[in-house]
Amino acid sequence: MIPHLVTVGHRRPDGRWLRLYVPVLPVLLVLSPLLLLVVLVGLVACLATRVSPVGALRGTGQLLWALPGTRIEVEQGRTAVLVSVR
Amino acid sequence: MNEQRRQILQMLAEGKITADEAERLIDALEREQPESPPGATPRPKPRPKYLRVLVNSEDNLGGEGPGRVNIRVPLQLLRAGVRLTSLIPPQALTQVNAELNKSGVPIDLTQLKPQHIEELIEQLDDVTVDVDQPGTKVQVFCE
Repeated sequence: MIPHLVTVGHRRPDGRWLRLYVPVLPVLLVLSPLLLLVVLVGLVACLATRVSPVGALRGTGQLLWALPGTRIEVEQGRTAVLVSVR
Repeated sequence: MNEQRRQILQMLAEGKITADEAERLIDALEREQPESPPGATPRPKPRPKYLRVLVNSEDNLGGEGPGRVNIRVPLQLLRAGVRLTSLIPPQALTQVNAELNKSGVPIDLTQLKPQHIEELIEQLDDVTVDVDQPGTKVQVFCE
């Protein structure tokens, strides 16, 4: 399952939370032309470094598929950062 | 017969509880520990899915107050990351080895096979690390 929603949060010193909700699929669709370019650049990089492009693509896919459930919270005093992938 | 059930029957025999009370207690015990049917294999322990790292620090670092870190990483993500390392070209590994040697860390990464790291990840399920220090607590475990 690919990630559906990425939440990035930041608590400012005044205690207010600034949260950014990123719906992955719509964002991917919007950025798909750019994504195609990134894939092409990645392919060229793989060929230049003699890395299997299929293996790299599969590895990246597996990494992306395994991301849901990741949660990182760091608090220091009144400030905090939160990254959550669902 | 388990120990708790035996104790209930003992209390009934000694007249400390009535038959009704004994029945209620045994019912409650059965609800708490449902008996598996005879011959059934015991249910395997569910496999942990996440690696958790918790850090609680009461130390007032930089005058900003106490710190807390709470990280949850799917074990599947670690496995995927490990598989990705198998794509590192050998010449890059040689260069990394040379740099590690220069820094005084004589580790030969070319000897580290993906299956070894996979095994390491598999055994990570049982890992629990607890570090207690005055004012700081670190916990690493799988859940």
